[in-house]
Amino acid sequence: MFSVAAPPCRGCGMNSVMIISSAGVRAAGRGFIVLMACLTAGIATNLRAQTTATNLQPPTAQNEGPATYKKMSLQELMALDVTSVSKSAEPYADAPAAIQVITGDDIRRSGATLIPEALRLADNLEVAQLTSSSWDISARGFNSSVGDKLLVLIDGRSVYTPLFSGVIWNMQDYLLEDIDRIEVISGPGGTLWGANAVNGVINILSKNAKDTQGLYLEAGGGTQTQDFTGVRYGGQIASNVYYRVYGKYFDEGAEVFSDGKSADDPWNRAQGGFRVDADRSPQDQLTLQGDLYVGDTDTVPGGEGTQQAEGTTSGANMLGRWTHTFSDTSDLSLQVYYDYTHIAAPFQADAALDEPEGLLRDDLDTYDVDFQDRFELGERNRIIWGLGYRFTHDVVSNAPVVGFTPGTLDQNLFSGFAQDQIKLIDKVYLTLGSKLEHNDFTGFEYEPSGRLQWNMTDHQMVWAAISRAVRTPSRYDRDLEEPAPPAAPFLGSNSTFESETVLAYELGYRAQVSQKVSGSLSLFYNDYDHLRSLDYTPKTLVPFYFQNDLEGNTYGFEFSANYQVLDWWRLHGGYDLLKEDIHVRPGGVDLDDALNETADPQQQVFLRSSMDLPYRLELDISSRWVDRVHNSDGPTPGEVPAYADMDVRIGWRATSHLEFSIVGENLLHNYHAEAGFPGAAQEEIARAVYGKVSFLW
Amino acid sequence: MKRQPAGLSIVIWCFFSLLALDGMTCRATGESREYQIKAAFLLNFAQFIQWPANAFATPDAPFVIGVLGDDPFRAALDQTVEGETVRSRKIVLRRGRTADELKDCQMIFLGKSEEAHVREILLRLGKSPVLTVSEIRGFARRGGIIDFYPEGGKVRFEINPGAAEERGLKINSQLLSLGRIVKTEKEEN
Repeated sequence: MFSVAAPPCRGCGMNSVMIISSAGVRAAGRGFIVLMACLTAGIATNLRAQTTATNLQPPTAQNEGPATYKKMSLQELMALDVTSVSKSAEPYADAPAAIQVITGDDIRRSGATLIPEALRLADNLEVAQLTSSSWDISARGFNSSVGDKLLVLIDGRSVYTPLFSGVIWNMQDYLLEDIDRIEVISGPGGTLWGANAVNGVINILSKNAKDTQGLYLEAGGGTQTQDFTGVRYGGQIASNVYYRVYGKYFDEGAEVFSDGKSADDPWNRAQGGFRVDADRSPQDQLTLQGDLYVGDTDTVPGGEGTQQAEGTTSGANMLGRWTHTFSDTSDLSLQVYYDYTHIAAPFQADAALDEPEGLLRDDLDTYDVDFQDRFELGERNRIIWGLGYRFTHDVVSNAPVVGFTPGTLDQNLFSGFAQDQIKLIDKVYLTLGSKLEHNDFTGFEYEPSGRLQWNMTDHQMVWAAISRAVRTPSRYDRDLEEPAPPAAPFLGSNSTFESETVLAYELGYRAQVSQKVSGSLSLFYNDYDHLRSLDYTPKTLVPFYFQNDLEGNTYGFEFSANYQVLDWWRLHGGYDLLKEDIHVRPGGVDLDDALNETADPQQQVFLRSSMDLPYRLELDISSRWVDRVHNSDGPTPGEVPAYADMDVRIGWRATSHLEFSIVGENLLHNYHAEAGFPGAAQEEIARAVYGKVSFLW
Repeated sequence: MKRQPAGLSIVIWCFFSLLALDGMTCRATGESREYQIKAAFLLNFAQFIQWPANAFATPDAPFVIGVLGDDPFRAALDQTVEGETVRSRKIVLRRGRTADELKDCQMIFLGKSEEAHVREILLRLGKSPVLTVSEIRGFARRGGIIDFYPEGGKVRFEINPGAAEERGLKINSQLLSLGRIVKTEKEEN
């Protein structure tokens, strides 16, 4: 009944889930990914979120100069960023890496209502919306639905799920008004951030409570984002102690199938939280923050014409951080957090397996402690080192068609890193370092890197880097079984799945060419080994299982530029090129013909225009062109056509307290596909318009 | 697949031709932005602080801001105070190299060049009603009233209400709520 030639891994999502046969199971995989909201596990992390903070943001499009500043209140002045200019204030301001910074103001002006939408502002990312509530996001390739090569942190808390080492984007949200900036680094960040920072790192940083004082209200609605509302209040508890509390709720409408009919996948989500920042003394800063959320996500796991099912997600987290500053170049910090996530993802019945429908449930507790110290050693050396420990307790309750063995898994992750930035000669720095980790699956892993940086002038920098990074196995790689035990003849677990590795070579150039023009160019060549493949059992054929039989390389570059045409008009452009050659290693096997790990556009083009018009009007136009995406359904290749689309926002700051805006998203088409294997389950993204009122007091 | 990516060569050409442009203005621009912002802070501080009547020689005497030592503002401070007033007093700028030259100012900004002389300068100013501001690290804790410090790329300030009180200055509570409150600490010798 099954032959190797028959499509094993049906592609659009969690490939194994789709092994068994066609549409039904494939959709189950999609449901898995879409709904698996969840967990946060992660990796030794980051306080580095704070220290590597690297501000390269161009000046905002607002009018600048003494005449403007002198009319501002102290609060407004305190919100202005000066690091883009005074680099001495921020030791990492010119980090030798491919980094882009999305500011809070960029997010506001983009009209984004969710974090994945805001990430479209980073030229060095691929963002593809799969359904109403799911996105595939990656850097430098490997953007499959189980994309697993990007590390994402929210205020130092890692948010990828150890189930498949990816991020379930519909579980990651915040009141966007209170986001200070998002730093997007493409290229390996393993030396500082650890496993999973294979192709990139995203740091989402919320504002200090001191910067969110007062009342903020927002509300609005439209065609896709049907209604949304957010509220925040910030106040002062005592001298030097500030807090804020916030809440947010939205209803997102369904997207459509390729024939234009509703995909019946609306979803909603509520989140609330707080943050307290205290300066106990000029040297000691304390932060305590937490969030709580719950979401309902409808899907049609079987694709068009099948039954709608409901998935749910919820979670809570609490984080505390203490930073002690000795001097401009020396500080230490200690961070502790706890994170809980729950997901219930519906899987439809599968006739071929004779398995009924049912929910896959996952409950994950993560405890993480992280220490970091930074100091200067002599005249020439700047050292950063740190230690981390993470404990995760994961409990899966299997669905009939898919399960994890063992159901309950406790894991320990120990990590340490050290890095030295050595001043070789004036303006030339060499940074050497490595992370050393120990995980329960593969034991010790090391992730060294060397970076050379030459600040040619005060406004030009060239850098080069060689880094090694690893993606340690997830439970998906090792523990997944289909159908769930005791049946499980198809996909079996594989306790020998090892870490995927990359050796990355990078070369970059950044320049503030003039007062009006800045740009960056980053070239990369990545050499991958031991990538995930799908193998079969000799003679019996099944169970299939994951193996590390793929290898290959990718190369390309990312270019971006800003041009402040006039005081009131700013242009931004970006272009990415990505070439991928991933193949089965000699003597190896992949039932997916090396097609299943990469679903990436070869080229992307971004153009944005931001204008400050008279009468306090703002006009922002953002357009993108994304090359066709080659994906697969098992060994069957598929294609999502290239597309261009455009978002427009018109904002009116009626008074300093009140703002109105109208946002149109994906205006060029009624609907268009961005991801997914062509077929009954593929969804397309519809044009959307919404209006918004925000009030700040 | 051998096809050249469309527009690639144009993009590269554009990039490198941009680089050819003269970028020497950049540094000056960058620094001035920071000091333009700090100049606006100074103007704001003046609005939130009340000077005793004896701070001014005559009822219509101007409000004098002194810059002591190396002046990081250059033209930015002049542009900021131009046409502005403090409680309907005209603002006048004065630059000097010693505390004595600036003794009758209502506000003195100490440049970084004065780092080694903070103690001496504060002694020389005695208890006169002068708002002392600086970007020297820990200035407020060394007996000054306000200092700027960078945090996350933004300008923050520390404020020492005790030192202000000693000089007879009244600080509005709103200003206190925005700054980090510090006390005078004993200097280690």
